[in-house]
Amino acid sequence: MEGLLAGSDDAIRALYGRYGRPVYSLGLRLLGTREAAEELTQDVFVTAWRKAARFDPARGRLSTWLMTIAHNLAVDRLRRETGVTRPTLVLVDEVPDAPGVDEETLLIERDAAMRALASLNDAERRLIVRAYFRGLTAREISEADGIPLGTIKTRLRTAMIKVRKANEGKELV
Amino acid sequence: MNCTGVRDQLTEHAIGILSLRDASSVDRHLQWCAACRKEAGDLQRASATLAFSAAAAEPPAELQDRVVADVRAAAGVRVAHQAPPRRTRWAAAAVAAAFVAVSGLGWGAVMAGRAARFEDRADVATMQQRTALEEFQRLVRVIEFSDPKDQVFIGQLVPAQGSGGGGAAMTLVSPSIIDLAIVMVNGVPPDRWATLPFTVHLTAPDGERLKVGRIESLDSGGADTISREFNRDLTGFDRVVVVDAKGRVVMAGPLATKADVASPAP
Repeated sequence: MEGLLAGSDDAIRALYGRYGRPVYSLGLRLLGTREAAEELTQDVFVTAWRKAARFDPARGRLSTWLMTIAHNLAVDRLRRETGVTRPTLVLVDEVPDAPGVDEETLLIERDAAMRALASLNDAERRLIVRAYFRGLTAREISEADGIPLGTIKTRLRTAMIKVRKANEGKELV
Repeated sequence: MNCTGVRDQLTEHAIGILSLRDASSVDRHLQWCAACRKEAGDLQRASATLAFSAAAAEPPAELQDRVVADVRAAAGVRVAHQAPPRRTRWAAAAVAAAFVAVSGLGWGAVMAGRAARFEDRADVATMQQRTALEEFQRLVRVIEFSDPKDQVFIGQLVPAQGSGGGGAAMTLVSPSIIDLAIVMVNGVPPDRWATLPFTVHLTAPDGERLKVGRIESLDSGGADTISREFNRDLTGFDRVVVVDAKGRVVMAGPLATKADVASPAP
């Protein structure tokens, strides 16, 4: 992190080597175009540099911190766009896996994610897709489905707890 | 907001779909409530786990170089192999990088993070703004402009009546390279965050306006920095205006040559 703060070429490339592809992949998933995913990736790493001084490893993993930045920036952008331009998203992506740097780490992270999704029932998975991958708020989902807001919040929370518990005892370093 | 209210929003907070105002309220609560912070951390990790469910897609090979160049420019590091024999856009980039460094990573940001009350952060923001202006002035003295016709204009942004916060702005006007504008706002009080996004314009006396960019969100200190390179001459654009989503002026200020610029009062 010190290297990132100093703008060290090696440190930036190391961080990108580990997280560039998942950040780009998340951007492609949420934003739907390669151009937008590339812009998001650039924004994420510059934002990470700007916030690097505030990163506290005692409070969370680097991957959690960085992917949270990526997701928040992507959702911000997604919510700025009209519904017309929002991509249709599904959990099973047609983009094939490709080998890359630090493949093993990514596979472990991906495995954890797939295990988490597998722990959800179909309704919970659809709810997560709408909230997490399409950036819809609980209120928007509530109004669209005609279901009380409190019910949507409870279901969302239940789903997220399942995601969390699916990987308990399998924390990554 | 009490713990019950915060926990009702923690899931959406972790997913990143809370409004900026609600997210800020939750963030403030999490600064002092360890129990809610622990739950927020659990949900945040779950949220980050989901991020890895996106099937891996291969970014273009050159994206890594662009990311490295962006971060190094932001960090104010000149990339040797990209340094041209004559000054091109790198001098402007260095100014931008130093500005971003001052506004986004310096002691001001750190202190703002430690200040418990927003009023305290606003005090910090004022000091940060003064530091930014001083840094502008230092940069203007330090940077070697190859073209004697290059001009740098800097200025302080003051809040509109009934608003709060402040800011600093700089434009680089050059006949030989790109022109550049950098605008920093800070200390914008939370009650104005609901009126985001802000739009930042340069204006000329004849009424012509140029958009510098949009401020979509603010950090916990009510701050953000934007910049834009222009492929046109910025000569004559002597004022910066920041308006909210409803078109109301949030803050504004004149740009003047460096000799005319004074730091804001402590």
